[in-house]
Amino acid sequence: MKILLTAAGAQRSAALADCLARAAPEEREGKGQSPNKTHEIRLTERVYVETEHEFAQCGLGHDRSTNLLVRGMDAIIHAVDPVPGEDVSTQIDTATRCTYNLLMAATEEGVPRIVLLSALELMADYPDHYRVDERWRPLPRTQPPTLSAHLAEQISREFAREGKLAVTILRLGDVPTETVAAAVHGALTNASAWSIAHIGEIAL
Amino acid sequence: MNVLILGGAGMLGPYVARQLAPRYTLRITDVKPPAEELPGEFRLLDVSDLDGVVEAAEGMDAIINLSVLRRHRKVAWDVSARGCYNMMQAAVTHGIRRVINTGPHYTVAGRNITECFDFGIGPDIPPQSGADLYAITKSMGLEICRIFSQHHDISVQTYLFYNFKDPATIQPGEHHAPFVISWENAAEVFPLGLEIDLDALPSRCEVFYVFADMPHGKFSNEKTKRILGFQPRQDVETLWRRTAVPPHL
Repeated sequence: MKILLTAAGAQRSAALADCLARAAPEEREGKGQSPNKTHEIRLTERVYVETEHEFAQCGLGHDRSTNLLVRGMDAIIHAVDPVPGEDVSTQIDTATRCTYNLLMAATEEGVPRIVLLSALELMADYPDHYRVDERWRPLPRTQPPTLSAHLAEQISREFAREGKLAVTILRLGDVPTETVAAAVHGALTNASAWSIAHIGEIAL
Repeated sequence: MNVLILGGAGMLGPYVARQLAPRYTLRITDVKPPAEELPGEFRLLDVSDLDGVVEAAEGMDAIINLSVLRRHRKVAWDVSARGCYNMMQAAVTHGIRRVINTGPHYTVAGRNITECFDFGIGPDIPPQSGADLYAITKSMGLEICRIFSQHHDISVQTYLFYNFKDPATIQPGEHHAPFVISWENAAEVFPLGLEIDLDALPSRCEVFYVFADMPHGKFSNEKTKRILGFQPRQDVETLWRRTAVPPHL
């Protein structure tokens, strides 16, 4: 599967790329037969990032470069992690406008599936003794990372609502990369047009 | 009361400014100079400039946001999403408790989602803008306002419009959206929002549909009349009446 992974400058994206580029879980467990189960990874970021994977620098604007970035991909894993040093206003712009541009380009280029890496911290303001699950309303604060994650979720939801893309939201808690990779693998084979999954626990 | 109007030199802004000028001290901003002389102080300001918005809000008691940019893929986000974030940050910074935001009806109802299928559509349905650029940028602005209102003592009223008309130029039976109001009548809702006791609002984030009474029942302006005391004029009925509107109406 050809996968585009955004926010290449973030440590989590880099580690996830390494993990996904290795054999898919069934192969690692000796169950798979086909070498085609591995993923081809393309990383992207708004600034240059040194990486062993294929890399394409892209500002995720509304020009043709974003279409070229996503063309031929089977799925996009989109993380809204900020570039170090970005101010809050820029982070919100990235989470909203750039997410919109990416998803619009995906729609235009026929990419069928988006996996949005969001934050389980969105649910942190519920009391600890509540059994919070994916059906509960997110409680973002007025600053990133929860505000930006929430807005990116909302934009993705509207693309899913209109049937333009299949979207899986992974709200990530404090979990190791292997757990994230396993969740992503599950999301890539998810047949739902819209789904949300909580992964791990909220970091305290 | 000192009122900051963001985006006040656009289409609706001059009507709102003239409506408010007799009773309020106005500071009007826009990214371009006004085409006509406006009452009050005017400043050039891009709402995507956080520092500029915060500075413009100093000394104000209320903020009205009329800024809009519909079709440019970057500026629409700058104006409608970042602009709302900047406005709310400015309100927090200066302790401004009263904010009036604006947008198109499909900020919540979507361009094609509900309007094609439903009747009696009110403003309190779960927002479902769809992916249309204008709708989703304004919807994200509304969501930012809602989140700020939950964390700060700021009351945000969002007035949603659809189609503005000048009654003097309406041709009988001409095409119109199912959600129409005259420019003058639209401006009349703003002083109601500036004067209403904030404790009389059901919550700190309320959405209102602002349009004339229209007989087809597609949308509902009942909440706007009931809570704000808005009085729709009967000045756009030529749009749907087969015969001329009697002069007493």
